[in-house]
Amino acid sequence: MSRALSADEVAAWRSRMPAAFAPAGAARAWRLFWAAAFLAWLATTLWWFGVTPPRLWNGLWGLGVIIRQMVPPSPGEQWVEILRGLAESVAMAFLGTAIAAFVAIPLGFLGARNVATNMLFRFSLRRVFDGFRGIDQLIWALAYVRAVGLGPLAGVLAIATADIAVLAKLYAEAIENAERRQIEAIAAAGGSPTLVMRFGILPQVAPIMLGHALYFFESNTRSATILGVVGAGGIGLQIAERIRVRYWDEVAFIILLMVVTVMAIDWISSRIRRRLIGA
Amino acid sequence: MLEIDGLTRHFGGTRAVDGVSLRIPDGQMVGVIGRSGAGKSTLLRLINRLVEPTAGSIRFGGRDVSTLRGQALRDWRTGCAMVFQQFNLVQRLDVLTNVLIGRLNHRRGALAHLASLFAHFSAAERATALATLDRFDLLGTALQRADTLSGGQQQRVAICRALMQQPRILLADEPIASLDPQNARVVMDALRQVNRQDGLTVLVNLHHLDTARAYCDRIVAMQQGRVMFDGAPGELTADRVAMIYGVSEAEFHGHAAPLTGSGIAMPAGALA
Repeated sequence: MSRALSADEVAAWRSRMPAAFAPAGAARAWRLFWAAAFLAWLATTLWWFGVTPPRLWNGLWGLGVIIRQMVPPSPGEQWVEILRGLAESVAMAFLGTAIAAFVAIPLGFLGARNVATNMLFRFSLRRVFDGFRGIDQLIWALAYVRAVGLGPLAGVLAIATADIAVLAKLYAEAIENAERRQIEAIAAAGGSPTLVMRFGILPQVAPIMLGHALYFFESNTRSATILGVVGAGGIGLQIAERIRVRYWDEVAFIILLMVVTVMAIDWISSRIRRRLIGA
Repeated sequence: MLEIDGLTRHFGGTRAVDGVSLRIPDGQMVGVIGRSGAGKSTLLRLINRLVEPTAGSIRFGGRDVSTLRGQALRDWRTGCAMVFQQFNLVQRLDVLTNVLIGRLNHRRGALAHLASLFAHFSAAERATALATLDRFDLLGTALQRADTLSGGQQQRVAICRALMQQPRILLADEPIASLDPQNARVVMDALRQVNRQDGLTVLVNLHHLDTARAYCDRIVAMQQGRVMFDGAPGELTADRVAMIYGVSEAEFHGHAAPLTGSGIAMPAGALA
């Protein structure tokens, strides 16, 4: 096919197979309709919230003032308290994620299409996951603070409760994407359903599960900060207090510490992943 | 003329390709044979520059292509199209778009690049792609997703993609190793058609001596990265095969000597 086609030949091909040259009329109109609907939605929300260039500009100016007050960051006088709060946040994230990661394993198997073949059971379980996922960590934290009192226990329970449903859903999806051929081989060798899960599915999905859990640990270290603001333990309370009295230099110090902590966790978890998954 | 001189590639301590020198005139159909790990794939990937040589040079039409960079390298790659064992089509794109990928490097300028990003191709390019698909009996599949096609169809789509590059050389890396005999024949026929009708130089890696003998003008046999034989198919007799590989032709193909009764010990009554 090194020879270029003449205009007539191109026209002949176009009339022979028009769909190869442009989407058909209906498909094109449909695409235009959705593009217009998306733009209209965007414009409406911007108008609704009164987003205007001068407001954005003034907001950025205010932020600039705060950032100027943050330099240079300073630990203040209570740096032992700060370190203790930070350690508490990391510990809360670790404990909460570990609980969620383990509880979610059996739930994930029960929610996977290729394991739980009973449609009604699986459907109901998945809707329960959806319900739990619809409630944010912060709401759980507020509830647990009333139930078990102020302190890190409320934070741990909030993290675990909120993440069980999310991790169970992610695990279930990983299990559904596991390769059928490997699973079939265990069944063909005479393995019981439990052993099929153990040897056919688990080796395939374990690295994915571990990856999700490590990512959630890192992400929860960040969100554990905010739990402190509502009294569920950790560094959050210290930040909230300093923002109230506008000690921005000390806020900046805590933020920098948190960034370093999250970076360290990210580094360690990527090492663990490479070591255990071999990828 | 493709001139390869002392081409060598090390991976760690192993020499995948070890001092290979070949002269391949334009329009020749060359079968490269050897067992897995003989360095056939690495040789082809070195020519396309998917792998960088440790030493040696590759020249085409008198020009050294082993040191090209940037646009010049992309032009060289367009000129020596690759066909892979696992077809390497983009599974979620339709067949037509997969074939049009062969045109990407023919579209020059920032504007054409932008059009490519939005998958806009001209009517002439689309018509050429359709004509190419039609030539290999694939027109009906043009608007299907690539992953809905059988292996043999996918490999022919890959050949169409290669032809759209308007290459001078076609490098086929084990193109039939994943296909059944029927489809293997269709794909090998397509490669020969490309060689005879379009006058392309074809380098094809093959597992089986019979296929190479039936389709190729010339056979290059490799063993542990070295060229052990280079000549007409007729010269590669059973004796030569035995000499190069130290095994009979049947054993070369992996048909081990027939089992002599002992077999695998079975627990008594296991199948009773």
